[in-house]
Amino acid sequence: MEDHEILAKFQHPASRNLAFNQLVRKYQQKVYWHVRKMVIDHDDADDLTQDVFVKVWKNLENFRQDAQLFTWIYRIATNECLSFLQSKRRKFFLPLNDVGAELAAKVEADPAIAGDEIELRLQKAILRLPDKQRLVFNLRYYEEMPYEQMAEVTGTSVGALKASYHHAARKIEEYVTSTDNLASSPDEVD
Amino acid sequence: MKTPFRLDQHPRRWPQPLSSPPPGYFEQLPMRVMAQVAAPAPRPLPLAWLRHAPAYVRTGLASTVLLGTFAASMWLGAPLSAPSSTATLDTVSQQQLLDYLSSGEVHVDMLDLAELPTHHLGITRQYLKPSSSELTEALDAQPTDEAGVL
Repeated sequence: MEDHEILAKFQHPASRNLAFNQLVRKYQQKVYWHVRKMVIDHDDADDLTQDVFVKVWKNLENFRQDAQLFTWIYRIATNECLSFLQSKRRKFFLPLNDVGAELAAKVEADPAIAGDEIELRLQKAILRLPDKQRLVFNLRYYEEMPYEQMAEVTGTSVGALKASYHHAARKIEEYVTSTDNLASSPDEVD
Repeated sequence: MKTPFRLDQHPRRWPQPLSSPPPGYFEQLPMRVMAQVAAPAPRPLPLAWLRHAPAYVRTGLASTVLLGTFAASMWLGAPLSAPSSTATLDTVSQQQLLDYLSSGEVHVDMLDLAELPTHHLGITRQYLKPSSSELTEALDAQPTDEAGVL
């Protein structure tokens, strides 16, 4: 079902639930993986994904169709992720590196990465980035999102996004290179 | 010498590098989300409007409740009203009253008798119905120093 159909059906109380169910089915995987790459842990990603869709439900009536539904949902998901990570630091008085180390430990325990040393170092390098830069990197590198769309999601200019991505990529390459043949840890090399 | 790592040469794990969620997760997620959004809104509390009331309304209401509570506690805590003297005297026979008043233990002077009608107009009509001879006898029995009062 196309977005405009979903939105039209959502306006009618009789078809609202059906339309929203279609919306969730259409975007759940994208939202989940977008969130999961930011918070790493499945349970956290599950909670946040549900929160995202609850917010979408509450605000969809006021959604202005001058933006794409997809980027609007991504924007909500992005804000949820950043708020979650921020509150995690506030809650446990953790500095940036400690949250990165906690997420790195979860990546290390992930069976999908186990045994792939370079991939593990790559993931740890990504986790060393500041949250917003990591978000930009994920959107561009894994989701191949056009910069214009990223600008809508993040509310940042295209130029700033390009600079941020290239800066992130350079830092990642440097980290993975420098940790070659070393026991990798997120705090070993700065 | 270390080989420089290049992102563009690294086989990218697309669309995600992490392990997949539990089997059936994406089949159940829409139902779980719908269960959350379709849940009936919690019934508003009877006094939920107080949260949105202006501060002066809440302050006024709190003061009124406090005063009302105080007044109610005073009213409920007060002893039952004492029976009126007239009602109490109703239970005493006229003969007992006469015996009491004429006994030597009680000294009723003329001032008492003079003030009685002004406070309790009915009591004299109800209890003091002496005959002329009784009055004369009572007056004659009064000490001489009381006569000056009259």
